[in-house]
Amino acid sequence: MKKISIDHLARVEGNGGISATIDGNVVTDVKFTIYEGPRLVERLTVGRTPEEDVSIAPRICAICSLSHKTAAVRAMENALSVEIPPKAYILRKLAHMGEMIESHSLHIYFLALPDYLGFPNAIAMASKFEFEVKIALEMKNYANHIMKTISGRYIHGENPVIGGFGKFPSKEELLWIKNRAIQFMPFVLKTVNLFCEIDYPDCPEDDTIYACCEPGKKKYGFWGDEIILSTGEKIYRDDYQKLTNEFVVPHSYAKHSRYNGKPYSVGALARVNNLGERLDGESGNMYKKYFNTRWKRNPLFNNAAQALEILYCFERIPLLVDELLKFPEDPPIVEYSAKKGKGTGLAEAPRGLLIHHYEISEGLVSHTDIITPTAQNAEDIERYCHIAAQKLLDESREDKIRDRMDLVVRAFDPCISCSAHMAEVKKAPEDNWKDKLDDLKEKGDPILVGVGKRILSDDAAGIELALELRKRGKKDVWLESDIEDNEDIWKNEVNRPLIFLDAVDFREKPGKITLLPLSYILCNTTLSHRLLPIITTQMNHKHLRNAYVLGIQPESIEEGEKISQPVRQAITKVLKMLIS
Amino acid sequence: MKNDKLKIGIYELTGCAGDALLILDCEKELIDIFKAVDIQSFLMAKSDNIDGELDIALVEGSVTTEREIEELKDIRERAKTVVAIGLCASVGGIQARFLDPKEWEENFKKVYGDIKMTHTKPVQSKPIDAYVKVDYYLPGCPIGKEQFLNFFTRILKGNPPEKSQNPVCVTCKYNENDCLLKRGILCLGPLTADGCGSVCINHNLPCVGCWGPLDTGNRTAEYYLLKEKGFDVEYIKKKMANYSGTKIVEFFDQIKKEIR
Repeated sequence: MKKISIDHLARVEGNGGISATIDGNVVTDVKFTIYEGPRLVERLTVGRTPEEDVSIAPRICAICSLSHKTAAVRAMENALSVEIPPKAYILRKLAHMGEMIESHSLHIYFLALPDYLGFPNAIAMASKFEFEVKIALEMKNYANHIMKTISGRYIHGENPVIGGFGKFPSKEELLWIKNRAIQFMPFVLKTVNLFCEIDYPDCPEDDTIYACCEPGKKKYGFWGDEIILSTGEKIYRDDYQKLTNEFVVPHSYAKHSRYNGKPYSVGALARVNNLGERLDGESGNMYKKYFNTRWKRNPLFNNAAQALEILYCFERIPLLVDELLKFPEDPPIVEYSAKKGKGTGLAEAPRGLLIHHYEISEGLVSHTDIITPTAQNAEDIERYCHIAAQKLLDESREDKIRDRMDLVVRAFDPCISCSAHMAEVKKAPEDNWKDKLDDLKEKGDPILVGVGKRILSDDAAGIELALELRKRGKKDVWLESDIEDNEDIWKNEVNRPLIFLDAVDFREKPGKITLLPLSYILCNTTLSHRLLPIITTQMNHKHLRNAYVLGIQPESIEEGEKISQPVRQAITKVLKMLIS
Repeated sequence: MKNDKLKIGIYELTGCAGDALLILDCEKELIDIFKAVDIQSFLMAKSDNIDGELDIALVEGSVTTEREIEELKDIRERAKTVVAIGLCASVGGIQARFLDPKEWEENFKKVYGDIKMTHTKPVQSKPIDAYVKVDYYLPGCPIGKEQFLNFFTRILKGNPPEKSQNPVCVTCKYNENDCLLKRGILCLGPLTADGCGSVCINHNLPCVGCWGPLDTGNRTAEYYLLKEKGFDVEYIKKKMANYSGTKIVEFFDQIKKEIR
């Protein structure tokens, strides 16, 4: 077994890693690990007042601090029935534009671009591209200035509060922001050209579900009271758990999320995929010029989507300032008397959908649930890295796996503080499957399902194994014919691991045994399976997470009833392990 | 050619990464910073990082896993000078508030359930000086730009500035703000280290204490004042605890001793 790993992902915000384990010709295990320790922020806010919460909770993350602030105050305002005046509403939107530009420009120019131009960092890049780096720094500085003017500081500003703002910026400050935005336009347009014309590698590519806020009124934007999915479905803010279904994984302090059992993606690429049609002006023109179907399947295009969003923000800023100037009076903070309530606030952080949910009783926070974008992306980060690693392995380009995984993880712009430095490739030891089987047995006595066709020589291995196990008195051994069209059996036994016994072509030596999660087989295009798709439509999310395939490499699957010698031997080995 | 630039490492333990980010936010000075010193390790900014001997290590974040304890000890061994940057490294940050191990364990379970972590074992959040000797502290949640640049240029000359001895109130008076305490608003300015420029009070909002506790702050006096203004004792304590990290233990001891 071999393991390729990047222990400390560089040029990401926070502390995490990614690893891929290679067993022969198969990538058996991809893990996105977050080393950042547990901070228990959700628990820290319990027993505190709503005002204390909106000060503490955004400390989860520096780079999305304003998005956290926005989601937190919106959740509190929903919980406590606070209506904010229009001027406060527009000012929050303007501040949000600042965070988007700051975060996106930091990510595309300083964290991502060095990869494509072959530099270890942006400062080294400045030796050759001094003009670009300097202007990009200016742009980032400008965006930080917007945040400082409105929120009070670059990071963790306290000025946005429940009910409005402590203080509104002056007319002169706002006009400065507007005029500077207009001055930046030529560079912003160049930025979009630069990042949309990068020759992004075509690996990994695969479909996924995209989720983002629905801004309403057929507009592009970063806020909403509904979540919109690329499937067309919409989810109201209070029902967010229908989308997120958070669960804990043992290899990370960030929880993972799945929608209907499937990984989904959030972020700039999700927003452009779901809402891009609604862009108008220059950003609309650029969308029409550059958007194509590859954007729907390739996470690396997130960098292009971020550049497009920078343009959108620069177009919106002057308009928002004009709107603000229509309100000469600064409204005071809206007071409230409610001591009890429940509320959810949605906001698009630069790296995707952010959800804050609170319950208030007797004036204090009694329950907090915060779902960060990187936690939602974790499953797709692992999946796309797996697809990339397997494809490169298939093409005998194993040496490229590490760098490609690094590129994929970085494209998601993970904000690892949200809860991660990053890539590792491992080779599995011989008989790796035995250790894995032992681990599974610890989780619970496995249910075994024999799969295959007896008339196709070695394809009978799974059936043969199951029948032999039954003969020796092993309980809970099924055949594929038992479970087809029998949905009842999926209602029980969700906590026990489910292992499919099958002949699987890994292009290995005949008789080689491999044990890997079912989901890997499903997203692995090089392995073919007739039955598994049928089964997996019947299985729910919990089953899928707890399902595995114990595959034996066949010598032949020609018509015939003879099982080859190496496969026979493998069957005997597996029998021994399963009976003991 | 001999490289006589100071060797610097910037490290992140558990926190919001805001202090490291703040360094990247010095947009106008960033290229000069990278030219003035030899940045050996800065994961957020570069991928060619080296773990070697250092003149100065800037460490942000609190210690929350066993892996981080090892990492921190290794940094200390390699660096001549260790600087705690930000509230988390200095006092443990907001996440150091569960002081009782049992309380911490309960809360850990409430967030993560009974799952056994396979990658690294969690520990209760503590400031870095709980494990290694710290030479200098740069407080703030996160640190401020002027404060950082001032500190950085002075430490390069071998002349680091001392810890702030003033409360936020000093700058607040220079900024001619109305005292919020006088208006009956719970403001932690008198107990909080100066350096933020009294930004919250400039915005008509009370100080939440995020620059971290001022060692010489008169907590007992503030406690009495707030009680007099009619604030609930538990509420006062909670407010004082939010950004004081593990330091709150001594402060409460002090208040208890001085209480009449």
